[in-house]
Amino acid sequence: MWQRPDSYGRFGKFGGKYVPETLMHALSELESTFNSLKDDPDFQNELAGILKDYVGRETPLYFSERLTEHYRHPNGEGPHIYLKREDLNHTGAHKINNAIGQVFLAKHLGKKRIIAETGAGQHGVATATVCARFGLQCLTYMGAQDMERQALNVFRMRLLDAEVRAVHSRTATLKDATSEAIRDWVANVETTHYILGSVAGPYPYPMMVREKEAMEKWGGKPDVLVACVGEGSDAMGLFDDFIKDKDVRLIGVEAAGLGLDSGKHAATLTKGEVGVLHGTMSYLLQDDDGQIIEPHSISAGLDYPGVGPEHSFLKEKGRAEYYSVTDEEALEAFKRLSRLEGIIPALETSHALAYLEKLSPTLANGTKVVVNCSGRGDKDVQTAIKYLKV
Amino acid sequence: MPAITPGKFGKFGGKFVPETLIACLKELEAEFNWALQDPEFQDELEIAFGDYVGRETPLCFAERLTNHYKNKDGQGPEIFLKREDLNHCGAHKLNNAIAQTMIAKRMGMKSVVAATGAGQHRVATAAACAKLSLECTVFMGTSDMEKQSSNVLLMKLLGTEVKGVEGNFKDASSQAIREWVGNLQTTYYLTGTIVGPHPCPSMVREFQSVIGKETRRQAMEKWGGKPDVLLACVGSGSNALGIFHEFIGDEDVRLIGVEAAGFGLDSGKHAATLARGEVGVYHGAMSYLLQDEEGQIIGPHSIGVGLEYPGVSPELSFLKDTGRAEFYSATDEEAVEAYKRLSRIEGIIPSLEASHALAFLEKLCPTLPSGTKVIVNCSGRGDKDAATVLNYQQYSM
Repeated sequence: MWQRPDSYGRFGKFGGKYVPETLMHALSELESTFNSLKDDPDFQNELAGILKDYVGRETPLYFSERLTEHYRHPNGEGPHIYLKREDLNHTGAHKINNAIGQVFLAKHLGKKRIIAETGAGQHGVATATVCARFGLQCLTYMGAQDMERQALNVFRMRLLDAEVRAVHSRTATLKDATSEAIRDWVANVETTHYILGSVAGPYPYPMMVREKEAMEKWGGKPDVLVACVGEGSDAMGLFDDFIKDKDVRLIGVEAAGLGLDSGKHAATLTKGEVGVLHGTMSYLLQDDDGQIIEPHSISAGLDYPGVGPEHSFLKEKGRAEYYSVTDEEALEAFKRLSRLEGIIPALETSHALAYLEKLSPTLANGTKVVVNCSGRGDKDVQTAIKYLKV
Repeated sequence: MPAITPGKFGKFGGKFVPETLIACLKELEAEFNWALQDPEFQDELEIAFGDYVGRETPLCFAERLTNHYKNKDGQGPEIFLKREDLNHCGAHKLNNAIAQTMIAKRMGMKSVVAATGAGQHRVATAAACAKLSLECTVFMGTSDMEKQSSNVLLMKLLGTEVKGVEGNFKDASSQAIREWVGNLQTTYYLTGTIVGPHPCPSMVREFQSVIGKETRRQAMEKWGGKPDVLLACVGSGSNALGIFHEFIGDEDVRLIGVEAAGFGLDSGKHAATLARGEVGVYHGAMSYLLQDEEGQIIGPHSIGVGLEYPGVSPELSFLKDTGRAEFYSATDEEAVEAYKRLSRIEGIIPSLEASHALAFLEKLCPTLPSGTKVIVNCSGRGDKDAATVLNYQQYSM
């Protein structure tokens, strides 16, 4: 039941490979290389070495004492809150794990050129970082509008020797940058690898919370895992090892933006419908004519109208639960963690943290909750300050 | 080279402070010594280092940088980076800030004041205080507040009160000390630099020495030996001593510190204290410092704000005078080149401070026999410096 994905790249009815003919060969090649390297000890050792020395894994599982205290009831009872510190990774987010895995694969395939698309720039920076490390040519497509809003990230990518190419078509944002990147890949598939998120292609790996990390801390498994969900690769990294453990609750938190009824949000699993976007069948935000609805979230990383097909599958099967929080709730959570733990979380991560407000009162005393602290929030300080008036 | 008297390194160090502070410093010293012996404190610190700060930091083989420095025959040293940039808050500063904040808590203090050190120490202090729920007040010169506005924002977000003082860091330090002296029972003065009256330099060095201890173990694991050369930038000296201290007794390990030459050593606009300074008393300790003929402190300059300090650790002054460590310098321009170089060929954006150490590789590597193991302390990440480098490039064009 949980074979993920099947040989067609499907999770139930979701997933698949809805791509132009020219890309089918590239995807098959990627898949078979991935499958053969998965069990190759030399490859695994090399990858493990890079993840340890370059990325800085494994990241700690941190007992959040003051946050736990914050959620204690007057009678002194409450859940125990732990943070999986993905903010401590090199480049400050989980994104680099996916980039490393894929660039490694690309190298094995003999590719010299890597392309990617990026919205706010985090994925672009992670990709550029890894390409610099391995000496591969890197080209990132970015909406012209986004380039203006994120000048510093553009500079970082160029510092890392990547080319950042402006996309002017249509809304000149992430969606259009993605389409442009796909077009490039179709034209250059022999020499080029396209770094994908969790939307299509191989799985983000390595898996993040190993059971033994939790076992070391308290001799058991987590009771609840909470992660923010944009396109979903970060959440899947946390959930993956525990999908078969029915006694572990999996909770994904999406962006409700200005509110679920405002029409300005990115809560794909709550408000979306099933369709095909960027090569895969999944939930997505579309109007009655099948046109993609512009999503909105204060956090650029969650500002995506689709979601990974595996999340759609987990939702359908009832294995994972999905909720959402507004921009305002996320900003409060951003401030809360900064003040209580001295950790400034990414605005994306803040969505997961915000959900603790609703979740904690419902949990039995001593419940072990692990929140995926998926990224650090230095990049969001300017945005947050405007709203929080600190 | 053990000091004969605690707090003295040959003629350097000491406690040149007003009478009112002597008792306070004695209490701090006693508390510090007790903490060092207390297994409970050590366990708590280990957990804080591991789970909060994110230690141990990796010793990363810089493959492409190593290739860059190979000569025509394919020979050259092997370059490793000690990744202090991966710490929470992005630099080595938190090692000291969290440990001292824990000591402040043990002493029953309610609040912490800080001033000395550059932005990274203040942010680390703010974070540590938030975590341990201590009030935190940071004093900054008003001109510095403008230059480092993003750091000010970070501190405010972390719940710290930032108080502006007319002038620069010197005036800010004085104000912080005034605040401390007025509230000795409840307020802890958290020093980030490895200068100041005893026991401050020893405390900071002790907590930063985790860097060197890890490095020894990691070098043994990686190649079954010790490093041949340790390279670190020097502002006040905390990250340098952090990596050097463990190896001071190993005479076969070269210790190299790189200061900020700013616009050049002859320009008068630099922060190369050990290169151009003279011995005097500053901030409570005898050490090298940048002073003019009238004994007035010369305002230092460096593009790396964390290196912009006119004094230096008394222990480093001692290591210089005894010849145990070597000191050189790198200009703003060389540091910016090194910043760009590491970004481009290793995908690691180093802080402008750490870039000074990296810059020295250009001069150092051609002189080293093939296979020499060089470890550079990558003391911080450089996201905070991207705007500075962007402006520098535009300005110089």
